[in-house]
Amino acid sequence: MVDLALKTLLHDKLRFLITVSGVAFAVTLVFVQLGLFFGLLGNASVTIRNLDADLWITPKNTPNIDFANSFPEIYVQRVRSLQQVVRADNLIVFYMFMTLPSGARETTEVYAMENFKAWQFPWRISEGDLDDLKRGDYLFMDQSATRRFGAFRVGDYREVQDRRLKIIGRTQDALSFTTTPLTFMDYHLAQILDPNNFNGRTSYIVVKLEHGADVEAARKEIQRRLPFNDVYTVADWADRSERYWVESTGLGLNMYLTVFLGILVGVVVVTQTLYTSTMEHIKEYGTVKAIGGSNRDIYRIIGKQALIAALLGFAAGALLAFVIRHLVYGMGLKLVIPPQMVAIVFVGSILLCLSAAAVSFRKAAGIDPAIVFRS
Amino acid sequence: MKTILAAQEITKTFREGSESVAVLKGISLSLVRGEIVVMEGRSGSGKTTFLSIAGCILTPSSGRLIINDEEINVRHPGLLPTVRRRCIGFVFQQFNLFPALTALENIEFALNIKGIKGKVAHGRAENLLDAVGLAERKHFLPRDLSGGQKQRIAIARAIAGDPSLLLADEPTANLDTQIGEQILDLFRRLAKQEDRALLIVTHDQKVRAVADRVVEIQDGLLAA
Repeated sequence: MVDLALKTLLHDKLRFLITVSGVAFAVTLVFVQLGLFFGLLGNASVTIRNLDADLWITPKNTPNIDFANSFPEIYVQRVRSLQQVVRADNLIVFYMFMTLPSGARETTEVYAMENFKAWQFPWRISEGDLDDLKRGDYLFMDQSATRRFGAFRVGDYREVQDRRLKIIGRTQDALSFTTTPLTFMDYHLAQILDPNNFNGRTSYIVVKLEHGADVEAARKEIQRRLPFNDVYTVADWADRSERYWVESTGLGLNMYLTVFLGILVGVVVVTQTLYTSTMEHIKEYGTVKAIGGSNRDIYRIIGKQALIAALLGFAAGALLAFVIRHLVYGMGLKLVIPPQMVAIVFVGSILLCLSAAAVSFRKAAGIDPAIVFRS
Repeated sequence: MKTILAAQEITKTFREGSESVAVLKGISLSLVRGEIVVMEGRSGSGKTTFLSIAGCILTPSSGRLIINDEEINVRHPGLLPTVRRRCIGFVFQQFNLFPALTALENIEFALNIKGIKGKVAHGRAENLLDAVGLAERKHFLPRDLSGGQKQRIAIARAIAGDPSLLLADEPTANLDTQIGEQILDLFRRLAKQEDRALLIVTHDQKVRAVADRVVEIQDGLLAA
């Protein structure tokens, strides 16, 4: 079978390159924008999803994990008394000042608990033992802090709230949406460092239920016992934290707009090049009809050209996106490209190219085969 | 002799704005197997319009068209591609070869359109190319061929699928005299040895040399 579609595409290599580049550009833009979006969103809830709790008790109307008020720590007793509760602990999440060796004053987001290990939190430890945090003025710092605070080693000292603390461990992948570096310290030390906010008070209570417990029933019961707090499942709390950033920062709108623009550019480039190509080959399509071809034969040719552009454009665009992912990872940015996204963008690329070809289809359908007699 | 084409009282009217222009006013013409008919006429006389209708590319405003004893239902344009595929081959003044396809592929593609595929199509395309004396040029693109070679490939493409009716529109217009004569020899062979009916529309007086009959069209009617 002679492949007129492919041969015609390859016959005009420059135009073919422009078409494929248009699709590749759109695909890369969509991957990068969605990837950054999901990467940032992931940061907004990464600590919630990795702490081994079933329920989170927050101050009333707390918008996200980074902006918590405080409430009496004694409330934890009301939770621990519940039959289904295996474990309930206070958790402080709060911003504190850190003085760097350079003298610069920066902000760090402190996570403080009595027993981190019981919650398998933080989840990736590259140096140090979490149990040591209880033994003095110590802290763990996340590797990502090097970008804002400079390089550090276990054994270095940093001043937090003007108190000298020793770095005794290093974590990985513990990030916040605000990019403020995360540090981990003992619960009581955090209360000492910020007595105005946390003397006898906490930011959150995290709750682990026994295996097989009715999470919703437990949540309702805790809500009844703590009417001036909110009680969330992990999924709801992570979702609330992510939604806050999407809605309050315009991040979602920005993402939608850029994705829309990427798709628009792709559609315009592919439509334009396919249409111009169709117009330039109009007499050839007329010839196809004259020798007995039907509109379906011509649709098949144009459709195949659109599909080839989609496949090659997708491959080039995806490859470029993965290269960019590698590059931005070195800059501390996460580009999240899950397989589902790859599948959706792949199908989207094909639909994009076929819809771009629709204009050419319409033109081809209207070709008068008598065009073949015109000189 | 079997009648291949019978056009009866064919009329064609085009609308130009609010006006109707009658291009064909009732033309009747028949071609039998092995016959070469040359149709002459001035520019705008309606030659190409008649050729388009005879080739089932245009539908007439009125009249009957019978090809291979089968009346063509001109009220159903969707059926016309099938008639073109089965019964008709075209040779154009501008050759209309596909520039991205080689000589061989141009013919093979036409066979593919007519439903002949794979090795059968490939073998037949090679035979056709051999029949027009261009076997050694099979991998050449049209841009690398002379006008005469292109027209021979166009003829080979026209007879792919073995149509009984060949329609040629100014087939020698873009060729020099010597090459034009070679093409006319080829036409004569196709009609006389292979029993095809051939309608040639032309201004070229030299084409008369191969004609069994010459008809002239004047103002949409055949001249007496």
